[in-house]
Amino acid sequence: MKPNKTLDCTGLFCPMPIINAKTEIEKINSGDIIEIIADDPGFEKDLPAWCKVTGHQFLEIKKEGAVLKGYVKKK
Amino acid sequence: MFSTYVLRAVPCGVDKVRKMREAAQQQDRRLSGLREIKMDQKEKMSIILFSGELDKAIAAFILATTAASSNMDVTIYFTFWGLNVLKKTKLSITRAQNILQKMFNVFSTSKLPISKLNMFGLGPWMMKRLMKKSKMASLEDLMKIAKQLNVKYIACTTSCGVMGLNKENLIEDVDEFAGAMTYIEEARKSKVNLFI
Repeated sequence: MKPNKTLDCTGLFCPMPIINAKTEIEKINSGDIIEIIADDPGFEKDLPAWCKVTGHQFLEIKKEGAVLKGYVKKK
Repeated sequence: MFSTYVLRAVPCGVDKVRKMREAAQQQDRRLSGLREIKMDQKEKMSIILFSGELDKAIAAFILATTAASSNMDVTIYFTFWGLNVLKKTKLSITRAQNILQKMFNVFSTSKLPISKLNMFGLGPWMMKRLMKKSKMASLEDLMKIAKQLNVKYIACTTSCGVMGLNKENLIEDVDEFAGAMTYIEEARKSKVNLFI
């Protein structure tokens, strides 16, 4: 899976990763994939929940130690 | 129900059955149209910010910005001590205020305390420092983001009247000055309602 855009939110706490994801996903095209990197542990649950509310397609979250990499496909 | 329709329809012939079917299909189309309109409408959230404490205001703004990032329409209704969050300057004293109102504005300013461990102002300083160190967004940042995400601010006119505050005392970001009915109108359409 190759993301069209990568957003680095490491070091940021809730709700900043979600807010940044919202502003960045507006800049990509429908069907594109955005990769969001964060290290807030709550992000693991927050990203799928955000996708459920907004209607974007949640693809997966990869855990690399403390770093979480989330992938979302824009609706 | 259905059987009565059939019994009634049979003696009247095929024509009537066709008419009934058409009417049913029309009804279906109308219903699905309504469903689409409902889907297009944004969900709403409303918050009453009653407290004038830093930690509670941060909690309110974190929820408001998160909901606004999830395509929700968010309204915050500021009342009583919550108005301190909107004060433009630390002291909001005007000539028109009476002595009691002036006292209120001297002792309850836009320099927000925290709800626990305030320690005469040492608490908020410590909390802000901790938040900065852990890169958490400050209240000022969150308020800026909230406006970018079109969060609506309503200031309670009754509280403004009691405290002797007017438009000039509050920041320009306030969208409306209104009463309880405006909040109720907003709240009845909201899926999420909070009192903080």
